[in-house]
Parts: sequence; C-alpha cells; structure tokens
Amino acid sequence: MSPARCHPPDVTRRADQRGGRHNGAVPPTLSPTEVVDPDVDAGTDAARPWVVIVWNDPINLMSYVTYVLQKLFGYSLEKATELMLDVHHKGRAVVASGSREQAEMHVFRLHEHGLWATMEHDE
Amino acid sequence: MLRPPIRRKGDAFVVRLGDDENELLSRLLAELRALLTTDDPAAVALTGRLFPAAFPDDPEREAEYQRLMRDELVASRLASIDTVEALLGDELSSGDGRLDEDQLTALMRSINSLRLVLGTMLGIRGDDPDEGDEGDEGDAPDEVDPRLVGSPEHHLYGYLSWLLEHAVRALSGR
Repeated sequence: MSPARCHPPDVTRRADQRGGRHNGAVPPTLSPTEVVDPDVDAGTDAARPWVVIVWNDPINLMSYVTYVLQKLFGYSLEKATELMLDVHHKGRAVVASGSREQAEMHVFRLHEHGLWATMEHDE
Repeated sequence: MLRPPIRRKGDAFVVRLGDDENELLSRLLAELRALLTTDDPAAVALTGRLFPAAFPDDPEREAEYQRLMRDELVASRLASIDTVEALLGDELSSGDGRLDEDQLTALMRSINSLRLVLGTMLGIRGDDPDEGDEGDEGDAPDEVDPRLVGSPEHHLYGYLSWLLEHAVRALSGR
C-alpha cells in the first residue's frame, strides 16, 4: 500500500457530484433554535425529521452492506437486503430517520463501518 | 472446495489463517495505522473513503461534523487494528483460533478499511451517478483502472474480499 504506487483517487470530486445531484432539493438551513424535537409537531417545517441516506459505492460488498444495516439498525435480513438493493440499483436509500442527534450518531456508526452515509432534512 | 477460513462454532468463531496470511495482514495493518496517523496529503487522499462527508451540501455543518467526529473515527479504527494485531500475535498465530463476536467484528472492520484503501489505490469506481437517468440500473461491473487489472494490488484486493465475505457469512449466520 505504498502511496507512491497509487493513482490519486478522486474521492472529493465524487463526493461533490453526489451532493450536487441534490442541490435543488436541500431545504434552507435552519438556525439551531428552530430545530425542535420531530415528535412534537410533525406539521411544521422545523419538525421534519432528519433522514440518514446510504449511497451506492463501488467497493463495499453487497453482503457486507446488508450485514451492517442489520447490525446497526436491527433490520431483518429481508428488510436489510431490500435497502441494500435500493442502494445498489437506485444509487441511494433512506436507512433511518430521527432527530438531528440520532441521525448524526447513525451516520457516525455507518462511517465507522466504511459506508457512504449522509444526512439531510426530510422533504 | 476450499475450507472456509472463518466458521461459526456455537457462540464462537473459528478462524484459520496460514502463516503467510498472518504476516500479510500484520504488515497491511501496520501500513493502515501509519496512513491513519499521518497528515501527509498522499495518505489523506488514500484514506478518503474512510471519512465520507455527512453533509455534502452544507460546508458549515460538514466542518463541524469533521471537527467533532473525525478523531473519533480514527480512534475507532485504531482500536479495531489494535484488537486484530493482538489476535494475530496470539489466537490467530497458528492453527484454529477462537474469536468472540466483538473480535471477529474488529477483524471484519479492519479488513474492510484495507479494502477501501486498496480499492482507492486501484481507482475502482462505479458508474457515474450524474450520468444516465434516475432509473439507471447501475449494474455495470465496477471498474478497476485498466493499468492495474491483474496487478499484485488487484490480487490482494481479491483476497481481502474473499476473507471479508467469509467474515460476513459467519457473523450473519449464513
């Protein structure tokens, strides 16, 4: 794994592309005081939960992604496989939702396992 | 045909590595540790897949996420490497080693980290997400940089994929 032998990856560009695809759909940034518990009032803008999204990537094994989704979220094999196939075929899947703190913890744990996860406000 | 390198046995997992595999993994993990603990730009480029963006559309939140979580992610990976290195020097040093679930999970995560770095080195990329329509099946085989097909790194990547697949099978009881 000598860095000298590798070709510099273009991870940044890919990340930008990933993000760029959804630029039009991203809601305006909320100030922290506007973020309330999503359970309180599901009707208002600030109450929308955060969603955790796993993106397709060409390196992680399908079996590995399925197992990680089972392990982290307690999904059945069927449910985890369905989500993994969504990721594989559609490019992304929402794997969890909740408060900002919950979503951030999910994203962190997915990153710990090497999955490409992001979070955004539910539409 | 091949005896699985990792099997579930009751509550434990039996892992058998050859001496050469043990040495190889030790060496790769030492290199991974070095990559994770340096700020050399060449190393940072190689480990990019280990630190994805959480908020790709929001630089401010992303900076905060990286500030709060990046060190945690490094620490978590180093802890897994520590666990596996200890196993390689003990339970996995010869014959059948017995691992518990946490130990096998550490091995699985470390192997996957190695694959993410090697896959980056090999220039592996899927179909471009900006190309084609939303319904694109995305089934094109993942492409290794053509100059690296069949290279030693490519074979190594294949070996790690094989080992990871067996770790996942054993852990998920399949």
